[in-house]
Amino acid sequence: MLRSLLALRQIAQRTISTASRRQFENKVPEKQKLFQEDNGIPVHLKGGIADALLYRATMILTVGGTAYSMYQLAVASFPKKQG
Amino acid sequence: MTHQTHSYHMVNPSPWPLTGALSAFLMTSGLIMWFHFNSLILLALSLLTNTLTMYQWWRDIVRESTFQGHHTPTVQKGLRYGMILFILSEALFFMGFFWAFYHSSLAPTPELGGSWPPTGIHPLNPLEVPLLNTSVLLASGVSITWAHHSLMEGNRKHTLQALLITIMLGLYFTLLQVSEYYEASFTISDGIYGSTFFVATGFHGLHVIIGSTFLIVCFMRQLTFHFTSNHHFGFEAAAWYWHFVDVVWLFLYISIYWWGS
Repeated sequence: MLRSLLALRQIAQRTISTASRRQFENKVPEKQKLFQEDNGIPVHLKGGIADALLYRATMILTVGGTAYSMYQLAVASFPKKQG
Repeated sequence: MTHQTHSYHMVNPSPWPLTGALSAFLMTSGLIMWFHFNSLILLALSLLTNTLTMYQWWRDIVRESTFQGHHTPTVQKGLRYGMILFILSEALFFMGFFWAFYHSSLAPTPELGGSWPPTGIHPLNPLEVPLLNTSVLLASGVSITWAHHSLMEGNRKHTLQALLITIMLGLYFTLLQVSEYYEASFTISDGIYGSTFFVATGFHGLHVIIGSTFLIVCFMRQLTFHFTSNHHFGFEAAAWYWHFVDVVWLFLYISIYWWGS
């Protein structure tokens, strides 16, 4: 009984340590290969499609927001006269 | 094939300086819309675009250094100078608030009752939570030094443990301060005492949050094997910033909490 408990403990330890090894394996060499590829893509887009989507979203929000703030400035510049 | 014959980093054209500048513009406009027209949409948009810019800009720096190898010793030297100058500028920023505090507290006006603390103000007991906060930040200074030495010695597990302890202590400080803010018998609008207290400690608290965020990023980078035992400037910059935050607290504790009570 005790021996089987010890065996179970060993298996559990090995499984957990393998799982954490799988989670935190050194993926830096893969990243280095991806970002050093000679494809002329600038670094802010070189990671893939997610980069392009995030870039586009950021640009739309900032430029759109600037246009909106200009509109608000125009509205605020001509206050309604109190009758 | 053309290769550079110098050790500097010529960065790819990047949109983030533009989006950062625009988000700063949105932030100022957003504050105006909030203060004068009771509208939060622009301010919220500015915080979002500012965060997006910071995330992508620093993500790109990690790519340029860890993945592309552009951070030569020459480049790292420039980054060191830059971080030191930035921290110096922050020190000057805080000196302004300390000037304001001493200006008002060294010669308290008749309107305050001629005393400091002013009549009617019941300051926080410096030997209670503020003293605990001091010990928490001092301990975090020790743990981050342990983390650095572990990193230099190549001990991955200890680096992660010590960094985690540092981050937990930083979060503990923040929680304690939030509770102190809630429990204090005075507010920011309680005369010059309230103003100097909450503006100085408030900006410090913001810097603790910024420093904790920087440390969390370092923790994640250490998890994913970005740092080596002799090249980890991101970590060093975070450690410098964290020690700066600790030193500012010590000045705050001695001046405002202790001498000012």
